[in-house]
Amino acid sequence: MIRLENVTKTYKGGVDAVVDVSFEVNRGEFVFLVGPSGSGKTTLMRLLLREEVPSTGRLWVGGKDVISLSKGRVPHFRRNIGCVFQDFRLLPTKTAAENVAFALQVIGRPRHVIAEQVAQVLDLVGLQGKGNRMPTELSGGEQQRVAVARAFVNRPLLMLADEPTGNLDPETSKEIMRLFERINKSGTTVVMATHDAELVDAMRRRVIALSGGKLVRDELRGSYAEADSEPEMITKRAWLHKRGSDRRF
Amino acid sequence: MGIPLGYVVRQTLANLWRNRLMTLAAVLTAAVSLSLVGGALLLRQGVNRAAGVWRGGVEMVVFMQPNATAAEIAKAGSALSANPNVARYHYVNQARSYAQFKQMFASQPQMVANVSQSDLPPSFRVVLHNAAQDAVVGGAVAKISGVKKVEYNQAGVKAMLEVTSVVQKVALGVAAVLLLSAVVLILNTIRVAIFGRRREVAVMKLVGATNWFIRLPFMLEGLIEGMAGSLIAAGVLVLMRSAVGSLIARFKVGVLSSVVVPASEALSTQLLIVGIGAAVGLIGSAFAVRRFLDV
Repeated sequence: MIRLENVTKTYKGGVDAVVDVSFEVNRGEFVFLVGPSGSGKTTLMRLLLREEVPSTGRLWVGGKDVISLSKGRVPHFRRNIGCVFQDFRLLPTKTAAENVAFALQVIGRPRHVIAEQVAQVLDLVGLQGKGNRMPTELSGGEQQRVAVARAFVNRPLLMLADEPTGNLDPETSKEIMRLFERINKSGTTVVMATHDAELVDAMRRRVIALSGGKLVRDELRGSYAEADSEPEMITKRAWLHKRGSDRRF
Repeated sequence: MGIPLGYVVRQTLANLWRNRLMTLAAVLTAAVSLSLVGGALLLRQGVNRAAGVWRGGVEMVVFMQPNATAAEIAKAGSALSANPNVARYHYVNQARSYAQFKQMFASQPQMVANVSQSDLPPSFRVVLHNAAQDAVVGGAVAKISGVKKVEYNQAGVKAMLEVTSVVQKVALGVAAVLLLSAVVLILNTIRVAIFGRRREVAVMKLVGATNWFIRLPFMLEGLIEGMAGSLIAAGVLVLMRSAVGSLIARFKVGVLSSVVVPASEALSTQLLIVGIGAAVGLIGSAFAVRRFLDV
């Protein structure tokens, strides 16, 4: 599904956002992308979406060589990728259903198809009966569900989620994660960048860790923190506690 | 993939309405500049028609009798060829005279109806080496049999041609500046429209709307603004024409009646204006889309 070979992205001004990263994601996998802020997660997402092009290296998504993709083909390429963000990115002037329908309208789907698929996908994300609400009338979790519905309505092969639970409370975050699990079970590959250690550890899925733009860890059933230091670093409190006992430095 | 027309039209109209004040400014600037362009073009057309005989530096016209024989015409021609003061000349037969007559008086059909081709004299249009010699050359030619009369390019006609050419240049110069500002205003209007819809645009890019699908409403918006301005300008030209016509009629300046371009000729100018308006709109919006849409 995804294949990176020695991908490096250097922004203008010489900032290395991603450095020599290679990995492969198979169809139907669920992958967490973890790492501190500035570790290159978002840049990696942008590369997968072809909002950026690697400076060096090679990159395939969905069997397509992303780098040699012509500008005119990019929109069609993106139709196979669903995207969800921390800030939902809903259109405030449209209802939930209209927000989802918009994604189909602008790629020229006929009206009767749109009506049917929007109703279906709103059911799937658990928003039946709330299609006519405006985003401001929905809770954060519900808004994110609308965003997931919009990303998934076109049945993409790949879902990219950049901190999808970043603005949500823990309980709502779990619900959203369950939604992504269901989407993953339907055969869609999911790549999720996140800071949420608890969720990552609960899911026990593949974890790819970035640090300073470099790939530092890739575990099949991984956790948020490094496995060998897990006892000490599983929670922030434990980590701080350990720091406290190391005060002699 | 076909682009759904209904969607594009709705988006375009919504954009136009949302930025209506800026749209108005862009349309009015386009209208004023295009009116100036149109006015200058009509002025040139009219003056050229009125002074049709004197175009191309012609300083002297030798009119033959309408019934002059071929031999007489040939003799007059060879006299002109032999004259050292004549730089060049060309012969206008009755058929061409009639054609020019019909064109000059196209706005007065009753005049055209009363004159037939055989009533009009054939003529020689003569360009001299030195315009001051016109009386000398004319006097010599007038004696040849079959020559009806010799007319000279009066200072008045010359002055009129010169003045109108200056007026036309000034008007076109001002119009060029105004057209440029119309382009910039349209560009800015589209830029604001793009900014106003940046969320939609971001989502459209994300879900894979084609670049043309995203661009089209903005391009269409610019086109409509340019065209709206040009249609107003075309209307202004109609008013200008009838105002000049009624002024001439009121002061009974019959000589100038052929300055008023007939409706058919004015129409081609108006179409040209609409074309320029469309181009102005498209150029403005194309720049805005290229610079600010980033698709």
